[in-house]
Amino acid sequence: MWKKEDVKSEASENSPGVSPGSRAAAGNPAREASPTVPVSLPLASKGSASISQGIRIKGEVTGSEDLFVDGQVEGKVNLSNGILTVGPNGEVKADIFAREVIVRGRVDGKIVGREKIQLWSTGNVAGDLQTERLSIEDGAVLRGRVEIETGKPIDKHAEARGVAAGTSKGGAVSVSSGSAGD
Amino acid sequence: MSFLNKLGIGVGAGAGTSREVPRTMGSSGRPRANGPAPVAAVGATRAPELGEANRVSNGLKEFLWNLDGLGRGTLLDLGPAWQTTLSFFIERGFRVSSEDLLRAWKEFLVEEEEKLREATGRAAQHTLDVTPSARAARFLEANLQYPNSSFDAVLLWDLLDYLEPMVAKQMVANLTELLRPGGVVFAMFHSKKPEGFQRYRVVDSTTLQVISSPVLCPAQRVYQNREIQDLFSRYRTVKSFVGRDQLRESLFIK
Repeated sequence: MWKKEDVKSEASENSPGVSPGSRAAAGNPAREASPTVPVSLPLASKGSASISQGIRIKGEVTGSEDLFVDGQVEGKVNLSNGILTVGPNGEVKADIFAREVIVRGRVDGKIVGREKIQLWSTGNVAGDLQTERLSIEDGAVLRGRVEIETGKPIDKHAEARGVAAGTSKGGAVSVSSGSAGD
Repeated sequence: MSFLNKLGIGVGAGAGTSREVPRTMGSSGRPRANGPAPVAAVGATRAPELGEANRVSNGLKEFLWNLDGLGRGTLLDLGPAWQTTLSFFIERGFRVSSEDLLRAWKEFLVEEEEKLREATGRAAQHTLDVTPSARAARFLEANLQYPNSSFDAVLLWDLLDYLEPMVAKQMVANLTELLRPGGVVFAMFHSKKPEGFQRYRVVDSTTLQVISSPVLCPAQRVYQNREIQDLFSRYRTVKSFVGRDQLRESLFIK
């Protein structure tokens, strides 16, 4: 039986190197876009575009949708209201501006993630980070300055995943008091 | 051992390694509601994993005391980018820059080896200058590139033990330029050649977490007191704390 969903999923499997349609990346990096190429197709309203492995783009990438990059991008990436996910094979040499940025590959450039930046354990960033919330998994490599805009750098999801560690003797000690625990 | 030392608060007794029993956890892995609320750092409620141990750090405490009242200070962390460490300082108003210098050193060595291999196949005039000073200069040309007087504080950790002595010397000289007058460096030195390889992250204002990691670089040397003082001779104040684990924590104030 014909189903609208079937057409959409078939279409997204055949998405071109830079195409809308692949739901894979952004919101759910675990389900990555297949690197296969192909055909133009209808836009999925909530879908994300993807730049697959083997694709190289030089120039400016602009949009308002989510984007998954598992290929190479050099230049500038501006997703005013979208989520950019740099996949494990992705290499981005560009300044990035997006609502949210997830890094699992390599980024060389400044990242502005208006709401959030996530560095996964395989992420490697050489550049400054500017965001409201930052989450860094153990093993991620960062070389750059961190600017947190609203003073709430803690990502509770990262905490839940046990991204950062440590036992506490209980409670915080104000630095200014200098009384510190012992 | 005195009672105070047993509690880890005696003179010179800080900086001891302690394995702590995690607080009672709920099924979600978070502390139960009636426990004290953790505020210090992200993940402060997680029990340490194998190869992780907590260590009281008087050096860190003193480091923070020296930075007290700085307002929006700038900090350079030369260790790995741990969320706990970054959050700890960002929450206290610091602007933090992170650069894992030991990882960079390892990558540099790999590149140098490749270059050397290529150079051996070429004419003599193209050979690579492998003298320690030339190597140090090449490494520092690509790393620690910040304007002078950019930072109020530097977390150097035990980095110097793992770098070639010439690199260590030039790096300390560069760091001195990067620090503002009155700026503080927090460094650690092993009193004997370390058997394993450890990295450190800040748990709270008096506690560091020691994480056993795969060896990134072998330790190069053990610095004696006099050598440490010579390295940091341009600093006006030096304070040291030696822990029971033979790890010396030092503060250098410019």
